[in-house]
This record gives sequence, C-alpha cells and structure tokens, in this order.
Amino acid sequence: MTSRSRLSLAFGFAVAFAGALAAVSHAQAPPGRGRGGPGYLKLFDSNMPFDPHDLAGIWSPNGNGFGGGGRCRDCGDRGYSFEFPVFTPAGQAVFDRNIPSYGRARDSADAVAHPEEHIGRRRAQPPALGNDTYGTCNPMGMPRAILYPDPVEFIALPDRIYQHFEWGYGLRTVWTDGRKLPSPDEVDLPRWWGYATARWQGNTLVVNSTGYDERTWIDYFGYPHSDQMVLHEEYTRTNFDTLELKMTITDPKYYAKPWVGETKRMHLLPKDFIKQSGWPSLLEDLCAPANENEFNRVIRDPAGTGKPAARSGR
Amino acid sequence: MTVNRAAAGLIAAMALAAPAAAHHGTNINYDRSKQWTAKAVVTEFKYVNPHAQLFFDVTDDKGVVTHWSGELLANPAQMLRNGWTRKRSIEALQFGAKIVVTVAPSRAGGETGLVVKIENEKGEELLSGGPNAGGPEPPRPTP
Repeated sequence: MTSRSRLSLAFGFAVAFAGALAAVSHAQAPPGRGRGGPGYLKLFDSNMPFDPHDLAGIWSPNGNGFGGGGRCRDCGDRGYSFEFPVFTPAGQAVFDRNIPSYGRARDSADAVAHPEEHIGRRRAQPPALGNDTYGTCNPMGMPRAILYPDPVEFIALPDRIYQHFEWGYGLRTVWTDGRKLPSPDEVDLPRWWGYATARWQGNTLVVNSTGYDERTWIDYFGYPHSDQMVLHEEYTRTNFDTLELKMTITDPKYYAKPWVGETKRMHLLPKDFIKQSGWPSLLEDLCAPANENEFNRVIRDPAGTGKPAARSGR
Repeated sequence: MTVNRAAAGLIAAMALAAPAAAHHGTNINYDRSKQWTAKAVVTEFKYVNPHAQLFFDVTDDKGVVTHWSGELLANPAQMLRNGWTRKRSIEALQFGAKIVVTVAPSRAGGETGLVVKIENEKGEELLSGGPNAGGPEPPRPTP
C-alpha cells in the first residue's frame, strides 16, 4: 500500500467518524444502555424518513461496523438467549454431547462465578477438544449466522429476500412469493440454511423457517436443534438506521416449550462503507477449508493439545 | 501528515471502543496471565482467515533457537479496517524481519501462542488494533 493510499484510507475513516459524530448530535438517543455514545458507528441521522417495508441494505451488529470488534452494546451478544431453555430428555442428551469453544471456560473460576448464566455459556473447551462443525467451515445456518458480529446484506427482489452474511459469505433465501412453508415432517431433505417464507404483518416482516440440518447449532454455545425446529423471526425497522429482530424457537423434540430469544439489533451501514482495494462491497470473508485445515494443523490443534506444532506448509 | 495522525488517533479510539471477537474459541486456548515479551525473527506471516498467523524464531541467552507458531486474534477484515492491508502487512513482516513480540502461550504447553503485540525495530507497533484487540466481547450491560 502506498503512503498516499494509506493516507486516503485513514482520511476516509476520519471523515466517516467525524460524520458519525455530527450525526449523533442530531439523532435520537439510541436504544442502547449506559456508558454514553451509541456503541456503534453512527453514520446516519436516525430521524431521516424511511419506508418501514424497505429492509434492503447492509445491516451490522458490529460495534466497529465490520471486521471483528464484537457486537455493539444495544445489539445483544452472540448467544441466542439469556433465558434458560427447558430441554426434553432427547434435547438434553444432545446438548450434553455438544462441546463449544465459546463462552466461559468449563470448570474455571470464571464459570463458577456466574451461576446466573445457563451452563451452556460456561462450558467452553479448546477447539481442538470441541465438536463445533463450524470449526471446519461448515455453514453456520440460522439463527447462528445472524448472531455473528459481522454485517448481513439484505437483498430484496420481488419474490424473495436474500440475506447475504459477510462472515462465511453465506446466502439464505427467504421467500416472499406466498408459497406455503412445509411442516418439519414434510421436509425430505434438510438444508444447512433451511426453508424460509415471509410476509408483512403491519410494519414487521415475519419470517418462519424450518428444515434445518441438525448439525448446525442455534448459537455459539452449542445449543442444539432437531429436524423439528421452527424458527420464528420478526424484523422491524424501528428508525432509519436500526433493525430489530425478535426470535422464538419451537422444537418439541428437543425443547419442552418454545424458547424466546434475546432481542437483537443491527444498524445500517452506507453501501460504500466496507471497502478494500477501492472496491465497495461486503468482503469475501470466507471460511475456506483450505485455510481452516491448515490453521487447525499448525496452530489451533497444537495449541489445544500441547502437541508439537506442525511446520507451516508454504 | 497532521490529518494522517489525527485519523490514526480516531482509528485507535474506534478500536479501543470494542474489543475484537474471535470466532474460533481463540481466547480459551491461551493463558494471558503468562504473557512474555522477547526479541524474535519472522520466518513467515500469513494474511489469511480465520486468523492471521505469525511464525518466528526466538533465541535465548545460550543461543538456543525456538521456533514459535502464533495466531493473531485479528483476521484480514479487522486488519483492513485498521488500515493494515495485505501488502502493507506482508511488507512489515517479511521473512527475516526483526521484531519484539508479546505472546500469551497455549494453556496446554508447547511452542504455540497468541500473538498479543508486535513491534518493529523502531518500536512501532505493527498490525495494531489497539491494546484490547482480541479481548472478550464487552460485558453485557446490567439491565
């Protein structure tokens, strides 16, 4: 990168940030809590007029817009819910078999110190000892994909909405053409990204989906779902730059009662905010097996087991 | 240059605002309470997903060389956001580059660690996303 382009990039950030500060002074207080400031890049005046039925655009729960940094303060964390789930015996058995690598370390003082959290958030083990299928770049599925801190672009067509997730470059199709959602038992072949339909109920887009591959997890903490899961999502654009998501999971095979998700929020990014090589678009932020397998071989697995690290294959 | 420094300050402030998120359970592999800092020589740097990787040699007082493998919490998207493009990063960490590296070693032992900080010979921090880069997500606000 030349010094000129570095300067250009830095200046771009400075302008964006200054714009964000200016917008804050005119914007309504964000729905987040405490500590001052919106907790995310405030790039628009929230009071600008908008069409509540227009969800097209790049929405981000990331406190820095994209590229790591965690979810913003009012966006909710990357867990599905803080409500304790009520498992069926079958659900409990699968939950116990899943070994996540996210959350507080199992049996640690940190884990013991937080009994108010469900054990799912307090049982993390090194990835080398875990069994997260995402650890080898399998699709995340839903709702996990939308819990990751990075942006999702909504692409609206006359008969469908695509949700294009930056991390993993995953694509989910939500059909709005009036087709009937199959019941879980009618689904012959499960999909990593499920089967989804949507309709407008007032100013809320109501999405129902099912037929998810059982190997995906509900979130990063290893909560399972069965082939009977129906995911209910409600997307509401509450102002120009805020999209609110409420979810409920019904899965009578694994959960004794519907499990309500924590309300999540995302914030609008300008179309050209994410840019590399002068090219505005979502990053091709793929979890490619060629990279992942090598990373596991030379870094992650040795780090988790203490076994000598394999030499990097150039 | 004034603009550049001001922008760098803003970027640093933005980076400080929220620590990085690791999607592969990176935090749980390493012990930050046992961090150490040493002079090292770069043998390889990879600007790839899921995390950038640094391979380097550390020579002790008796001349014994240890080969280390490290991951950074940042992935290319985060480094890009912080102004560290692929070419700039590779140029800074080319084979043979002399650095001062701070590492949180694997809890399981061995010569694998989390690369917490990298400085060049001039004392300039490389690939910096701020001192909190790679920490856990911000704590959940108290309702």
